[in-house]
Amino acid sequence: MWEVFRQEAEGDPMVHGGSVNAPDAELALHYAREFYGRRQESHRLWVVPREAIAELDDPDLLDPPFDRSFKRPGGYIIKHKLEAAKARATPPDEA
Amino acid sequence: MTELDPATRDALAALILTVADDELVIGYWDSEWTGIAPMLEEDVAMSSVSQDEIGHAAALYAMLGELTGRDPDELAYAREPDAFRHAPLLDHPRTDWAFTIGRRYLYETADAARLQALAGSSYEPLAQLAAKMRREERYHLMHVDAWLRRLAAAGGEVRERLVAALERLGTDALGVLDAPDDEALLLSAGILPEPMASVRARWLERIGGPLGELDLPVPSGGPRPGGRRSHGPDFAWLHGEMTMVSRSEVGATW
Repeated sequence: MWEVFRQEAEGDPMVHGGSVNAPDAELALHYAREFYGRRQESHRLWVVPREAIAELDDPDLLDPPFDRSFKRPGGYIIKHKLEAAKARATPPDEA
Repeated sequence: MTELDPATRDALAALILTVADDELVIGYWDSEWTGIAPMLEEDVAMSSVSQDEIGHAAALYAMLGELTGRDPDELAYAREPDAFRHAPLLDHPRTDWAFTIGRRYLYETADAARLQALAGSSYEPLAQLAAKMRREERYHLMHVDAWLRRLAAAGGEVRERLVAALERLGTDALGVLDAPDDEALLLSAGILPEPMASVRARWLERIGGPLGELDLPVPSGGPRPGGRRSHGPDFAWLHGEMTMVSRSEVGATW
């Protein structure tokens, strides 16, 4: 099995599209093209053998039980601090 | 180019018809793999390649329509079997997968040599369409080449069937690049930039290497004369299949 990644335009991230069954990379690319590239929807395709992918899906590691909201950008409100900094940076005659 | 005289125009129309019929008929034969190809992915690939071929035929019939005033749908679906002008290579049924791959290899490589020549035609619409078709045929060539190498390397019954198919089809494959009617007229108008015999020589030279490396038979012998003018019972059956819907209500629109 081959996992197919596709890019819609140069510079876009490669996004997982799906998978194809093929005996080798050459035919996997042919089939990836048929499934994910024949309607001009892809700019670039990658095929990766499924065995080459190392997987992590352990909830203890990915979804810790304690509140870790401070690690997310939304967990720390800085709006009023930004406003105060902006006011300090603006010269008085422009205020 | 200047206005075509009637004889040259007829020769051009006959040439376009041979290419269009080749593409339509191989497209229909190979579309028979839809649903029964060796694996699901290949089913989609072969169906899509077949659809491409029928698309090329549609573009060629449309060009012929412009040239002769005939309706492209009528050209494709309202002619009797013996009015078709495809090469004898395409009179054989789909048979098995090795046969289909063997025939596709011979046809696609010959067609590539023909399109290369036609891309230099003085008849601008044909030159442009040939250039466009070549872009799509590149993938067809890669696809069939990948399969040919795998079947050749597989050994056993798989390889035997491939060798048998190539032996059976070699002579008829030469007929894809037989000289068209009134070739001299086409050559002097520049519609054909070179005689078909030299296109055929270039094709044989090009496939000699890969077939030799795989120790597979190379086309030889002489094509069946007049092979584009009469077609056997297998094509009569396919013709019945491919015209079934259009015959069910003549003139219907949708």
